[in-house]
Amino acid sequence: MSSSTATATTSEGLKLGPFRFKPLNLLLYIALSLVAVIQILPLVWLFLFSLKDNQEVFNLPPLALPGDPQWGNYARVWTEGNIGLYFFNSVLVTGSAVILTVLLASFVTFAITRMKWKLNKLVLGLFMVGLMIPVHSTIIPLFSFFSSVGLMDTHLSIILTYTAFNLPLTMMILLGFYYTIPRELEEAAIMDGCSVHRMFFRIILPITAPVVATTAIINMIYNWNEFIFVNTFLSSDRNKTLTVGIQNFIGQYSTDWGAIGATLVISMLPILIAFLLLSNRIVEGMTAGSVKG
Amino acid sequence: MKKKALIPALTLSAVTLLAACGGGGNNEAPADDAAASANEPAQEDVTIDFMHLWPAGSSPDHHRIVTDIISEFEEMHPHVTVELEVLENEQYKNKLQVVSSSNQLPDVGMTWAAGFLEPYVNGELFAPLDDVLEDGFRDDFVAGTLEAYSINDQTYALPLELNIAPVFYNTAIFEEHGVSVPETYDDFLNTIDTLVEAGVTPIALGNRDRWTGSLWYMYLADRIGGADALNSAIDRSGSFNDERLIAAAEGIQEMVEHDAFIPGFNGLSDQEAKAEFMNGNAAMYLIGSWDLPNYTTNEEVPQEFRDSIDFFKFPEVEGGEGDINGWVGGPGVGLFVAENSDVKEESKEFVAYFTEEWGKRSVEDAGVIPGTQVNTDEVDLPDLFISVLDELNNASSITLFADVQMSSSVAETHLNMIQSLFGEAVTPEEFAEEHENALQADE
Amino acid sequence: MSDKRVIALYTLPALLILLVLIYVPIVLTAYYGLMDWDGIGAMTFVGLENYTALLSDGMFWRSAYHSLLLALFSVGSLVLYLAISLILASNVKGANLFRKIYLIPMLLSSVAIAQLWLRIYHPTNGVMNRFLTSVGIENPPLWLSDTSIVLFAIFIPIIWQYAGFYIIIYYAALKNIPAELEEAAKIDGATPFQIAYKIKLPLIAGVMKVTVVLAVIGSLKYFDLIYVMTDGGPSGASEVMASYMYKLAFRTNDFGYGSAVGFFLLVLILIVTYLIRRATASKEDQVQY
Repeated sequence: MSSSTATATTSEGLKLGPFRFKPLNLLLYIALSLVAVIQILPLVWLFLFSLKDNQEVFNLPPLALPGDPQWGNYARVWTEGNIGLYFFNSVLVTGSAVILTVLLASFVTFAITRMKWKLNKLVLGLFMVGLMIPVHSTIIPLFSFFSSVGLMDTHLSIILTYTAFNLPLTMMILLGFYYTIPRELEEAAIMDGCSVHRMFFRIILPITAPVVATTAIINMIYNWNEFIFVNTFLSSDRNKTLTVGIQNFIGQYSTDWGAIGATLVISMLPILIAFLLLSNRIVEGMTAGSVKG
Repeated sequence: MKKKALIPALTLSAVTLLAACGGGGNNEAPADDAAASANEPAQEDVTIDFMHLWPAGSSPDHHRIVTDIISEFEEMHPHVTVELEVLENEQYKNKLQVVSSSNQLPDVGMTWAAGFLEPYVNGELFAPLDDVLEDGFRDDFVAGTLEAYSINDQTYALPLELNIAPVFYNTAIFEEHGVSVPETYDDFLNTIDTLVEAGVTPIALGNRDRWTGSLWYMYLADRIGGADALNSAIDRSGSFNDERLIAAAEGIQEMVEHDAFIPGFNGLSDQEAKAEFMNGNAAMYLIGSWDLPNYTTNEEVPQEFRDSIDFFKFPEVEGGEGDINGWVGGPGVGLFVAENSDVKEESKEFVAYFTEEWGKRSVEDAGVIPGTQVNTDEVDLPDLFISVLDELNNASSITLFADVQMSSSVAETHLNMIQSLFGEAVTPEEFAEEHENALQADE
Repeated sequence: MSDKRVIALYTLPALLILLVLIYVPIVLTAYYGLMDWDGIGAMTFVGLENYTALLSDGMFWRSAYHSLLLALFSVGSLVLYLAISLILASNVKGANLFRKIYLIPMLLSSVAIAQLWLRIYHPTNGVMNRFLTSVGIENPPLWLSDTSIVLFAIFIPIIWQYAGFYIIIYYAALKNIPAELEEAAKIDGATPFQIAYKIKLPLIAGVMKVTVVLAVIGSLKYFDLIYVMTDGGPSGASEVMASYMYKLAFRTNDFGYGSAVGFFLLVLILIVTYLIRRATASKEDQVQY
């Protein structure tokens, strides 16, 4: 692996020249495009879904255009109470939990993979077991815990819970990458008289930017759409997040599907934008990072 | 492992729903109390936490009535504030269980009858409400509804909903194919055959939800064995091995073999099935009277469709012991007060006031038939609604939904078995045996 | 580096959250598993009764078998995601756009995905059966109500739902491989296939192993779409361990037994994960220098 510290070449600069105009290549593009169409259709479907009324939702084929687009679904969702507040709460909870999770997970992963200590395998094991817990069997114990420490109906209970449940997964993804960071890099840094903290924040974090972006996206998506904990731990309307927006349209005996579609579209937009911004970070190759560092 | 369920065998006989001038005098009692307490000087400010399952988005009418009643109550009791938490049905049930595990129920909330209520009462989480029912308030309720929320002669919730399940049908489809309302079960099978031959799906059924299929089984059990056959099997004075109940299970499979139900019914939800009926793709649909607004007042449903919907009573089975005026139905949600609420008195007062006011408004304003008697002189309702209320009034019996009667673990077996029976994965004998096993394990 | 204070500083905050919010509930779950408790009233200690009952509970083992099948399918599907990621990461024109599009379904919540697939599988109006009837198949499968196929019908959306997750991980891993390695190999005359097989795959073996473990664990405790789309039915044909546990705890008021199932599920996952780690131990050594 010593070659990894060699010259600075961004991966973007490479070309697969010889393989571009062969028939195989054409087939490849057709296949890629086909998959792309399959993956993008749900978005189109969801948008059309949000413009249908309850009859059309069930009776029209998924990709059929609604007879009379129900823009009112959006108006209804928007005027129905506190979307703005829910939105703010969602951003607050998701954002705090993502930052906390990614930072803490990076700390631990760094300590486990780059430092020598006796309990390191045990600690890693503890985190990995955390991944295996079925969420539903923790709800009642967590509820009694939060109510006994007075954190019920606070955002902190949600942020901490998201962090706890996402730490193991985040670490697991980070681990594979930390293992591939060449040791020479740290050794060089230490010889330059760099403190551990300085090294972590100035070298390790920038190098792992692509995977940090990856885990941040994954965390974000999970937290943004989560509703079990939100429903259980929060009770006042002023604290609730966007996921209650969906609930608002599920009735005792019937459901307003068009409005749910509109809620889903509205609540997906921010995550889509965040995703598009963050996903650009993923392409930055590690070598580029290490040279900068 | 478990205590035997003390299930009220809910056969409401001689139901008098439409009291012509119903209990006007009685209604005064709680209001008097309220006025009296409002006059008392400087009471300490209290907050009643109230959890319900009618979100503003999906149930705007329900939600509005709730909000109105609350603000009136707060006006009458300036020291009381009611804090709301609204969750949808499924989430509501989950949260109720979670908060119960730490004994942190809201002061006032909604519960279902019989089997659902039982563990909460056994755990002493719900307060008995008999004291608010004194002074004649008890007589305001439709006979038998309060009993569904009673255990050991104490009442633990006040019902807000009462439903029966008619077979709704599309008169246009019936006319087009020259079929009329079936009077006997054999007629019914002929009707089904005629429709199938004409390429029409006879019945929309979403049996992924399972209680939907249970309704069909319950009606066959009622028509073959009379109102008591199923009730006594559930309360253990009888048995599911009763040949009349086995005959009912056979009847279900007979209907399945006649292709009575929509293809893929076991994988469809009730809502998906309903869409087929509303779309004119299926001729019949058996559902609770809570669905009446869709066929009467709901502006989102085309007028032409609403005009073409009528209902009939499940036909009699020749040689059966049942009565055509026997219905499957029962009360839906009711209001409870938490036993360990620190504002128990105010909460009880609130529950009584709420139930009474809800009863005055719910039919007209939200299409919900309340558990209290409706004064038909004062309400303005579509004809279909009035007919259903009349049927409710003339009912010879109302058998409470089987899954509500049963304890939750037996109900789960029952519902699974219903799905297997419809899917022909079990024989009627195995169907009976599994019920027996579950009921014995529960004793 | 082995400064104890630094290690504590970097490890303890996360460890504290983990212990309090994950381990305390696990221990409590195991404890509730020793009780007869409806989750509402008083508890009665019954010792190992719930756990012994579980061993002879046919429905539990049936759902365990279904979960295991899901795990196998999920691991199998990783090959496909890896292939897609290899192509995307090899600088094909437009890779950036493709990559983003591929991840879109992952942004949808389970509620939306369930609704979409219910409409695809609808017995009469569904996209799938409309297509099958249009090409002349008279009695197309009743995807979600036929007990012999419902399980596989529901695997497809589950696996599809996570495609974006694995592609994003593989893609990031492949992009992390120093470009010089590939360049050098190309100068030596290696074909793209050889480069992928001989250079790239070994380098991301650690990440691949992680994804296998994630796929297996994720499958064994999978819940969401099954709960919404089939509710484990018909007749338990699509029941998995987590949905079974959920029903016991929250629907049939058998919280003690449900907790026992939950804890046993954790033990099963631990065993399976241990077996996987042992089976793949040699690969790990290569990666860790």
